[in-house]
Amino acid sequence: MPRITLTNVTKQWGKFTAVDNLSLDIEDGSFITLLGSSGCGKTTTLRMIAGLETPTWGEIRFDDKLMFSSEKNINVPAARREVGFLFQNYALWPHMTVVQNIAFGLETLKWKKSDIQARVDEMLSIMQIEPFAKRYPAELSGGQQQRVAIARTLAPRPRVLLMDEPLSNLDAKLRGEMRTELKRLHRDMKSTFVYVTHDQLEAMTLSTKICLMNEGKLQQYAPPLTVYNSPANLFVADFVGNPAMNIIETTAKKTSDTTAELTLLGHKAVFQANAPFDLAGDTALGIRPEFLPISDHGDLEGQAYSTLPAGMETTVKIKIAGQILSSVVFGAIDYETDQKIRFSISGAGILLFSRLSGQLLASGRISIQ
Amino acid sequence: MEKNKNDGQKKSGHFLYRLKSFFSVQANVLIVFFAVLLLVLTIYPMYSVLHQALTVGKMDSMMYNSLFGLKLKPGDLSLLNFRMLLGNAYTAEYSASYFWNPLFNSLCMSALASVIAILLGGTVAFLITRTDIYCKPFFSSVFIFPYIMPSWTLALVWKNVFANSGVGTGVVGMLESLTGLCVPPWFVYGIFPCSIVMGIHYAPFAYILIGGTLRNMDANLEEAATILQADRLRILLKITLPIVMPALFSTVLLVFSSTMASYAVPVFVGSPGNFFVLSTRLNSLYNSTYSGQAFVMTIVLILFGVLLLGINQRFTGKRKSFTTVTGKSGQVSYIHMGKANLIVTVFLVILLFLISVFPIISFALESLCETQGDYSHLTLRYWLSRENIGGYAVNVGNGILFNKSIWSALGGSFRLSLIVSLIVGTCGVLIGYAVARKRGTKLASLVSGLAFFPYLVPSMAFGAIFLAVASRLTFLRGTLLLLILVGSIKYLPFASRSGTNAMMQLSGEIEEAAMIVGASWPRRMLRILFPIQKSSFISGYLLPFVSCMRELSLFILLTTSGTLITTLLSYFDEKAVSQMSNGINLLIVIIVLLVNFIINKLTGASIDKGVGGN
Repeated sequence: MPRITLTNVTKQWGKFTAVDNLSLDIEDGSFITLLGSSGCGKTTTLRMIAGLETPTWGEIRFDDKLMFSSEKNINVPAARREVGFLFQNYALWPHMTVVQNIAFGLETLKWKKSDIQARVDEMLSIMQIEPFAKRYPAELSGGQQQRVAIARTLAPRPRVLLMDEPLSNLDAKLRGEMRTELKRLHRDMKSTFVYVTHDQLEAMTLSTKICLMNEGKLQQYAPPLTVYNSPANLFVADFVGNPAMNIIETTAKKTSDTTAELTLLGHKAVFQANAPFDLAGDTALGIRPEFLPISDHGDLEGQAYSTLPAGMETTVKIKIAGQILSSVVFGAIDYETDQKIRFSISGAGILLFSRLSGQLLASGRISIQ
Repeated sequence: MEKNKNDGQKKSGHFLYRLKSFFSVQANVLIVFFAVLLLVLTIYPMYSVLHQALTVGKMDSMMYNSLFGLKLKPGDLSLLNFRMLLGNAYTAEYSASYFWNPLFNSLCMSALASVIAILLGGTVAFLITRTDIYCKPFFSSVFIFPYIMPSWTLALVWKNVFANSGVGTGVVGMLESLTGLCVPPWFVYGIFPCSIVMGIHYAPFAYILIGGTLRNMDANLEEAATILQADRLRILLKITLPIVMPALFSTVLLVFSSTMASYAVPVFVGSPGNFFVLSTRLNSLYNSTYSGQAFVMTIVLILFGVLLLGINQRFTGKRKSFTTVTGKSGQVSYIHMGKANLIVTVFLVILLFLISVFPIISFALESLCETQGDYSHLTLRYWLSRENIGGYAVNVGNGILFNKSIWSALGGSFRLSLIVSLIVGTCGVLIGYAVARKRGTKLASLVSGLAFFPYLVPSMAFGAIFLAVASRLTFLRGTLLLLILVGSIKYLPFASRSGTNAMMQLSGEIEEAAMIVGASWPRRMLRILFPIQKSSFISGYLLPFVSCMRELSLFILLTTSGTLITTLLSYFDEKAVSQMSNGINLLIVIIVLLVNFIINKLTGASIDKGVGGN
């Protein structure tokens, strides 16, 4: 199972740059998600790894073997990269039965008849689709089609499995089930998975590392929790997490290597960073909703703008100093609209960003004066 | 395409590599191949038309010299053909009679035919897709007949029925013979029958295109209006009609240009009443010694075609943006017609009987008449006689079923149609593949534009062009190869259209899924793409076959009368052996319908898919 390396990969269509100078090191056996909103270049990246799209510049390697190099004029065709590709709309061949769909790739690889038979049976049983073996794709439900597509993709034992938003056409419940199965499948197969999605929850729950992209550029490449707790910049901070992080514009003045004074929601406050940091220009404070606990003796007072109980937890929208902040509270509570609420800012995971560059400057605690 | 761009800073070795990798993709090879092939097949004939239009012929030179006091030699290049035909001080009358009046007639006839086709086809399309009318499958299969049958079929029937002793040659038609009624001359010959016959012939076209849009239109669009309490009429006028509008425009323009170029119908029911259109004048110019002017007229017809195609593409370009297939449009709630249903159904049955079934009966009857128009003495002589029928001053030969020349002509037509349809259908699939894969690129629009170009050149002109080509490339003259070449080019438009439609419906991922497991290109084509869209592709083979089987004007200048069944038919028609020509007509109609039926039952392919319906 190979390690995949992308070096300075760029893809342009005329003047439009879909992927901009992307370098990525995908470790052997990892489960990587390419995350971003539509048009950010994530699918293009996946297709370039598969060999379905030709990069304009750059290099792609599987282990030490060059798959593509614009310098050395190398471009190994998709068929010889031994990758599996799971398409968003499954791309099942409508004129073939489930068995024929799964066997097609093996026949192309000139496997022996008996081997094909055995492998197809094995895939049918792994994906639990034996009862549908003789059916045509049009006679299957979305979830069953999805399983057939996975079986077809995995049958030739690809070294790398590439998936392009494979769950986006399923309903919420099925999507949850398939997520669980994909994670198990990854562990059982021990091969490298690269997974494209615009759903941050999928990215958070499935992957060993998230590659977050925006407008063709890499924003952050790190394990999910790192992306969540220390987003590299304001874009990442805003994109990951639901409800989204509260971003509050502030003016900060440094008072020591690790402290700064700031005005926050009409109050004076002190920011105590976890490590020394530099400060330049305007700043913004990023606070996750779970770091705004509601309690009767909170330092800050606001009004309940709207309350959204979801059973297990409740999102409370608090209006304060002309801004609306989100707070998440465990359990179900319901506040009257415009009811006064006291809350505080807790924990050591409060983030300070530069407003100019958007980059993360420091993380630390806030104390209201 | 994208690979050829933005490599300013690259070395020439890199360019070669890019070229190599560009041509390692089959779609690129195909698109370049067809671009070159179609350019040659378009530019060379166009050059040849232009050259002929500018060349002074032998008779021309004598006339021009005496008219204008010039000293031209045959073969000189000049604009005199244009001046002569389009008019000047000396030839105002000539030009009016040979160009301007026929042009006006052509435009009027085409406009009327379009209106009739839209009204008839559109109404039937609406009835079938949006109401609970009875016998839908019957209507939708029989309504296509007039398009499958040769266009002159209905013209002949018109003549068979309405000719009477008060008009033209005074041959007695069925109506007079049975009832004694004589319809007025304008009813028998002229713009009235021409427009009606053309309108009915192309009504299936309107039905296919409009019906296709109606069928694909998301029912939610209409349901949304129902929820807002709009009544049926309001929905029809404000929602349905605007959405069908592009298909309507498409139909008008296609019918308009087809009618402009049609020849057989105006000859049968126009010329006898001194109603001349561009195409009939075109033919008489070809056959006269003033062929230079015929090519001037050809250029005018082609320009009209290009203009109409341009307009059409503007509309169909827009069309794509709002008729999307969502896959949920199956649950249309039909309009309940209640008591009107039976009346409408019966009316439609009678109409369809008249335009689709009656022609066949009429031909059969006419072929059985001892004397033309006299239904009291019927005989099977013209079918079964094992001896030369004779009786006229022409060599007729044995009865149809035992006539060697008829069978050999039939075989000739069949062989030609088969070869042409194989070539054209395959090209259609390949062009469709290349265009769909390279969609959005300039090469792709060039190829699909060029592939549609032959549609704009009237068949007659096409024949004349290749007559000119064959006079240079003498090895082609009079050969089957020439007929195959002409047929293949002429019928490419619809095959490439249906091929492109079919390929466009397949997402690229369907092919990529096979590519990624290492299936070669031929294997992907044969095992994946072709089987999925089998019926559409086979329709791309069927339409050229049917068209070729019934084609006359395209081949008539290029071959002798015994080679093809249609040219033989025209020979019998000229010699006024109406029993034989009606019999042969019946034969052609039956063969064409039968082939269509068999292919349809075996493969699901159908003419409507070939025309570009969905």
